[in-house]
Amino acid sequence: MDEKLREIVLEHSDTIVKKWLVEVSSERMNDYPSAISNELFESTNREFVNVIFTSVDQQEITSELGDFSERLIKLGWPLSYLTDGLQAFRRVTIDFLLTRSEKVDTDQFASVLDMVDSWVDPIINQLVNEYSGNWEHTLSMQQTALKELSAPLIPVMDNITIMPLVGTIDTERAKLIMENLLDGVIKHNAEVVLMDITGVPVVDTMVAHHIIQAAEAVRLIGSQCILVGIRPEIAQTIVNLGIDLRKFPTKSSLQKGFQTALELTNRKIVYTKKDDDIENLLDSLDGE
Amino acid sequence: MMNFQSCVDIKKEWDIVGARQLGRERAKAIGFGTVDQARIATAISELARNIYLYAGSGVICFETIDEIDRKGICIIAEDNGPGIHDISKVMEDGFSTSGGLGAGLPGVKRLMDQFDIVSDQEQGTKIRTVKWVPQRRF
Amino acid sequence: MRIPILKLHNYLLISIQIDLDDKTAIQFQEDLLNKIHSSGATGVVIDLTSVDIIDSFIAKVLGDVVSMSDLMGAKVVLTGIQPAVAMTLIDLGIHLQDVPTALDLEQGLIKLRQELED
Repeated sequence: MDEKLREIVLEHSDTIVKKWLVEVSSERMNDYPSAISNELFESTNREFVNVIFTSVDQQEITSELGDFSERLIKLGWPLSYLTDGLQAFRRVTIDFLLTRSEKVDTDQFASVLDMVDSWVDPIINQLVNEYSGNWEHTLSMQQTALKELSAPLIPVMDNITIMPLVGTIDTERAKLIMENLLDGVIKHNAEVVLMDITGVPVVDTMVAHHIIQAAEAVRLIGSQCILVGIRPEIAQTIVNLGIDLRKFPTKSSLQKGFQTALELTNRKIVYTKKDDDIENLLDSLDGE
Repeated sequence: MMNFQSCVDIKKEWDIVGARQLGRERAKAIGFGTVDQARIATAISELARNIYLYAGSGVICFETIDEIDRKGICIIAEDNGPGIHDISKVMEDGFSTSGGLGAGLPGVKRLMDQFDIVSDQEQGTKIRTVKWVPQRRF
Repeated sequence: MRIPILKLHNYLLISIQIDLDDKTAIQFQEDLLNKIHSSGATGVVIDLTSVDIIDSFIAKVLGDVVSMSDLMGAKVVLTGIQPAVAMTLIDLGIHLQDVPTALDLEQGLIKLRQELED
């Protein structure tokens, strides 16, 4: 029985495809990417229906199906295109099979439904899995990117590292920042870390508390923290709120903080004197 | 839904180490990161030490909590010791009757996400504390 | 169980590589002070790279060791505290405010030399 149905469907694939194309084309919705031309839509439809028939024919999920869905995912076709298409295929095929026989009894009706379901469902499952797998992948990549973006650690010189903080700091982000900070200090062997809060819009007691905790943890692992980028309005809020930041050095700008960091690591900036060079040159010319 | 309860008797000083090692393993298996593993192990250490110091003996149990939207570890510390007279006092930072740092119970509360304590002079003390695996934010 | 204490010139070097229980910690405190006394060491580095848990008791013992050694004329530097341990200590409310720290053994020795020269 099953084999017979399969043969009938394959034999009359042209009729089914025609009906299917009509149905799918009428369903074309506005939310498909506008870049998709009518030609592309039609050729994709044809390819899609071929892929469906190949898997019905071979009775398994084919590699063509995988390639096809992968390409659609890359091009940004919506998943609903595929599920709508397969549902249309199910309707058209069932319709076709049932209208072929003169009299339809319940048993036959049920077996047709079962049969077509057993063709369509694995394909739907496969496609949904691939799409959702792709979404999860994108999501996790974005999360990683966000994580890295939210608290980068930049080594600028041997033993000196800068951590610019940008955006609002909540408890969860503060924890993340602290973990990144401590791991980074170990990784870069940083003796001094400059925490730059220029990009933090609001410093309230909670944010200050997190910053103090981070600085203390940095000290525990054997490094030092300098808080830089304290704007006038932030200095005012900090003092007005009665927050004690005196336990570790603070500087108004990254530049000043960097100088302190150099002092702490026994270094200083030496200017190579260009003027002297010219005088030396002139002297040597005079001498000749 | 709770499952896999396992318990460690606290009778000797070395049991404190045993309890926190087991707790760390459980935390790792549940999926906590290294920092949370350290937090959980430390909390267990504090609870086990309290049992050893103040009640003499007791038990620490671990449960894996597996709910539809979150996972976590539940630690239950129970003893039949003399109980705590003034719970609000021991939850203050810096309060200690043993000459320690007084960071024990308030510290545990900060290390974990949930913290309940019941104590009376006849039945001893029972502390139940939970830490959740951080949720992925979508 | 006893933690070995190594002597190098005027320094004592200790690397703690076991899960410390209370008795071992107290024993270590005693051993170190005796060693400072017998060797006349002026600097001590305690490396905690392999320690993955420090609870309030062990933190107290370590803090005490630093103060006690200070009284006996030996500077102590704690090195290699792991990030996870540092965060846990901060959560516990233990800041070890007066304890000198350094990233690793090498930095610790440099720090000791600087402090002893000053």
